[in-house]
Amino acid sequence: MLKQINLIFQKEFCSFFRTRLAYFVLGIYLFLSMFCTFYLGLYFDIINTGLFSFFYFQVNILMLVVPALTMRLWADEYKTGSIELLLTRPLSYTSVVIGKFLAAWGLCLLMLVCTFPLWLYTAAALPADNLNIAASYFGCFLISGSMCAVGCMVSAFNKSPIVAYLGSVLLLTLLIIVNYNFIFNGLNLSGSLIIRFTQSLNFFYHQSTLLNGQLGLDNIIYYASITVLTLWLNRITIEYKRS
Amino acid sequence: MITVKNLCKDFNSIKALNNINFTVRRGEIVALLGPNGAGKSTLMRLLSGCIDPTAGEIEIFKQNYNNSRRQILSELGYVPENAPLYGEMTVFEFLKFMAAAGGLSSTEAGKKIAELARQFELSDVLTQKCETLSKGFKRRVAIAGTLTSSPRILILDEPAEGLDPNQKFSLRQFLKDYAQKNIVIISTHIMEEVTALSSRVLLLNRGKLIKDTTAALLSELSPDNSLETAFRNITRQKQ
Repeated sequence: MLKQINLIFQKEFCSFFRTRLAYFVLGIYLFLSMFCTFYLGLYFDIINTGLFSFFYFQVNILMLVVPALTMRLWADEYKTGSIELLLTRPLSYTSVVIGKFLAAWGLCLLMLVCTFPLWLYTAAALPADNLNIAASYFGCFLISGSMCAVGCMVSAFNKSPIVAYLGSVLLLTLLIIVNYNFIFNGLNLSGSLIIRFTQSLNFFYHQSTLLNGQLGLDNIIYYASITVLTLWLNRITIEYKRS
Repeated sequence: MITVKNLCKDFNSIKALNNINFTVRRGEIVALLGPNGAGKSTLMRLLSGCIDPTAGEIEIFKQNYNNSRRQILSELGYVPENAPLYGEMTVFEFLKFMAAAGGLSSTEAGKKIAELARQFELSDVLTQKCETLSKGFKRRVAIAGTLTSSPRILILDEPAEGLDPNQKFSLRQFLKDYAQKNIVIISTHIMEEVTALSSRVLLLNRGKLIKDTTAALLSELSPDNSLETAFRNITRQKQ
C-alpha cells in the first residue's frame, strides 16, 4: 500500500511542477503572504516576536490558495477520462486518494517552508519566540492539510476544475465563518458542556488558538478528524461514481 | 475465462444493457459490433470494472469484482475509446507510471518499456510530451501503457482509430499473436477489421446481444455475402 501511495504521490507532486501550477500557486501565496504581513499586518509597527502579522492572515490566504492545488486532482481525471486508466490499474482506491492528498499537502509544506526566511529575519532582528512560531507553523500545516482534504473531496464531485475551486473556497469559508453557537443559542440550550461542545466544532476557535501558538491535543484531533472524514468521503465518492 | 451472466446496466431511466450473457475463452479475439449507442462501450467499461452493473454477474478467471477487484485488475488491461493519457508526462514517464501501477519493479519496467517501444515504434517519441503526440501515437502509447503489465485480458475500445494503414496492419498482427495465449476484446465500426482480426463477433443493438457468431457466419446472412450488408440488415430490422 505504501508503494502505491508513493507512486501516486510522485505522479501528482511532479505533475504540479510539470504543469507550472506549483510555481504559479507558490508565487501567488508568497506575494499574498508578504503583502498581508508587511502592509496589512503592519509588521514593522507592532512587536512581532511570535510573527503575529504573518500568521493572522494565513487561514484566509490558504483558503484561497489551497483549492487551486486540489481543484484538478480528481476533476481533471474525470474530464479527460484518465480516471478509467487509473482505476483499472490494480491500485487500491485508498492509496490513490491518500497519494493525491499527500501531494497537495506536500506542496503546502513547501509553501510554508518558503516563508522561513521571514522567521529567520525576525529571529535575527527581534527576541523572537521561536517555540511559539514553530507551533504556529505546525498549526498552519495542520490547517492546510484539512483544507487539502476538503479540496480533494470537492474535486471528486465534478468534472470542472473551476467549479471544484469555487466549491472548495465556499465550503472552507462556511467552515471558517459558521459559528455553531448560533444554532444552540437558537435552541435555548445553555450550560458549560454545550458551550464547550459547540466550541470544539468551531473551525474559527481552533484556528485562533493554533495560530497563537497554543498547540493543544483538541486542535490536533479536530483537524485530523476533518482530514480523515473528508478523505473517507472522497473515497466513497469515487466508489459511488463507479456505480 | 470471462463469464457474463444476465448483465444489465441502467443509466437512470435508460437501459444501456439488458440481460447480456456470454463466455469468452483464452485464445479468442472477440469483436463487439453494433450501431452507435448499442452498449459496446458500456459493456467494455463493465468488463474492465470502471462501472458496476445494475444487475447480473461478471466472472473473470472465476473471480468477481466484489471479492477480488485488485486480482482481476492485475490480469486485465483496458484502453478506453479516446485513449486518455497524462498530457504533461513524457511518453517514457507515462509508460513507467503505468508499469509501476501494474506492480512492476523499476528494472522490470525498463525492460518492458524497451520491448514495447520497439514493438509499437515509440522509440523516437519516448522523450516527447504526451500532449504533443498525434492521434495515432496517442493510441499506440495508450495500448503500450496497458500492455506494460502483460495482462491476460486485453480490452480495447476502437483500437485502430487514428492509425494509418501500416500501423493498423502492425496492430492486427500484434493482437493476433497476443490472443494466442490471452483474451482480446475489441469494439469497432470497421468491418474490415472484424473480418481480419476476430474469431468471434458479438452483435449488440439497443443494449441487447442479438448475435453471438463468427464474422464468416454473419456475412452469410446477407445476399451478397458482405459483413457490412449483414450488419445493416440486422441492426435496421431490430430498430
